[in-house]
Amino acid sequence: MPWPLYLALKQLFPTGRRFSFFTFISILGVALGVTLLIVSISVMGGFGREIRNMIVNTQGEVQVRAFGLMNDPQAVMRAVKDVKGVVASTPFAEGVVLLQYENKPAFPAIQGVDMERVEGVVPLAKYVQPAGAFDQLDDDRVILSTQLARTLGVRLGDKVSVYSPLLLEKLKADEILIPRELEVCGIFEIGHQQLDSSVVIVTLRAMQELYGLGRAVHGVNVKIADGADPDRVAREINRVLPVDGVARSWMDANEEFLFVLQLEKNMIFFLLLFIIVVAAFSVASSLLIAVVRKTREIGLLGALGASPRQVAACFCYQGVIIGVGGTLLGLVLGFTVVHFRNEMVAGFTRLTGSEEALARFYQFSQLPAHLAFGDLVLIVGSAITVSTLAGLLPAWRAAKLKPVEALRAE
Amino acid sequence: MNEPRTTGSVEATWLLQATGLHKSFLSGERRLEVLRGVDLAVTAGESVSIRGESGSGKSTLLNLLSGLDAPDAGEIRWEGAPTLAAERRGLLIGLVFQSFYLVPELDALDNVVLAARLLGKVGDADRARARELLRRVGLAERAAHVPAKLSGGERQRVAIARALMNRPKLILADEPTGNLDEGSGDAVIDLLLALCAEEGCALVLVTHNAAHAARCGRRLFLREGGFHTL
Repeated sequence: MPWPLYLALKQLFPTGRRFSFFTFISILGVALGVTLLIVSISVMGGFGREIRNMIVNTQGEVQVRAFGLMNDPQAVMRAVKDVKGVVASTPFAEGVVLLQYENKPAFPAIQGVDMERVEGVVPLAKYVQPAGAFDQLDDDRVILSTQLARTLGVRLGDKVSVYSPLLLEKLKADEILIPRELEVCGIFEIGHQQLDSSVVIVTLRAMQELYGLGRAVHGVNVKIADGADPDRVAREINRVLPVDGVARSWMDANEEFLFVLQLEKNMIFFLLLFIIVVAAFSVASSLLIAVVRKTREIGLLGALGASPRQVAACFCYQGVIIGVGGTLLGLVLGFTVVHFRNEMVAGFTRLTGSEEALARFYQFSQLPAHLAFGDLVLIVGSAITVSTLAGLLPAWRAAKLKPVEALRAE
Repeated sequence: MNEPRTTGSVEATWLLQATGLHKSFLSGERRLEVLRGVDLAVTAGESVSIRGESGSGKSTLLNLLSGLDAPDAGEIRWEGAPTLAAERRGLLIGLVFQSFYLVPELDALDNVVLAARLLGKVGDADRARARELLRRVGLAERAAHVPAKLSGGERQRVAIARALMNRPKLILADEPTGNLDEGSGDAVIDLLLALCAEEGCALVLVTHNAAHAARCGRRLFLREGGFHTL
């Protein structure tokens, strides 16, 4: 081991002492910054991933929408099928309806899905309870999202009345308004508050009848192969699209939302990085004091044959060791907090009585977490770099000391 | 200039040759001329004491002889070479200071090994040498003690062991008993002289103590910037 590293370790972890207060405080400062970064960026990453999954699992990676109605979805699907990277496609129709159960109304979004094709594109069945209920969906049945069912007090087997905008036309023509009665055959829960509270799923044919679409649909959802670039596939589809419409990747369709999400993540990173910067200032200050306190020892090292560069390295290493130690401790603390995040949040919300607020405002029943490898590298790299920089000024001061003057210092 | 006492190749026996050393310092607006043309030569294995009043320039001279400071005028040759790089200083010269200058975070053994560590890798032989030196200075049982747990005399003995660690040819000791009581001081000087004799290295001892100075083979007195032989 080079002696500057050896001496740096000894300065931070002196022989005969179980505990160095300076080392503990310095490492803890960096560790707290890293912990907060890990937790915050993980949760932000988790939100991002949940949103991505929610979009992809309900819409597919690419969505083709007609400007108006898509009268020949088969032609679109045939064209899309030949695009490289496309695995499957399914038509859909969507809108808003008035849903009524025992005089309790609701205005959920309604999705009409092609029962023969939808499972090949979006895995809706796995979000529907009881198991196998999705396969029972037919033109006289409906699947309600969990919160909606709870709000209306609907149970499996109950019948709900569905009023579509088409009925308004009948109302204008003084015709009798007869809602469509659909039996609830399943409950849908994806884990996203907005979708879980206001979505109903019916067959595409039922939806076409409710909206008077005939054979037309509103668009086609497309599943692409693993690893394929959704933006590229969308561009390719747009080249071959036989109707007046546009294909957009899920990222493109949600560009502004994703931009805001990334911006928030970046802002949180830079703000929390300042905790490490403040800790680094504290480390630099302590090391500068150490240089003054150890002036004669630094002189001794020079007198015994150490070069100024080696003396500087000794103090640089202290910054690096504090950075690496703080980062490792921060990673352990951070991942521990991330692991127990839901228990901690549950405890906190119980204390403050805000369990429902979390679900209502943050859209998720569980606090998601996901740390991308790139984010981890960025956090570790930043923490170690900032701590290393903290050792540079003291190192420079130490290297500048002349042994003869340092030994003479009072 | 002192003549070497050995016969044969004169140049080869000089460990250190200082000729016409001048050194001055600024004190406010006044320039104090501390050394005015000092000549000194030290041969292998000899012991030289330098006494003088406070401020007479003893420590300044020792700093010049160790290569830690440069003279305003004059020349020093170490084994015939006009320059002394830091690494070579660590091999040629062992330094003992009044204030010991032990590294407080290291135990006695590591403080001794530090002298070798600064010059490169440390092997088992170096550790064995450090343990042997601690045994010879009477601190074998205290090798694992940090300086804070040692008395002043013990600290200085660790410092002497450290100075001898790299088998230097010359020990420069700057008032090594200055911070010790009389009994400990005598013991340290006994030890220093005995070990230098055993190791065959020369000793330049700067001291206020006439009795300690008298035990060296050659006794010099520094006054008004120059040497006076006693």
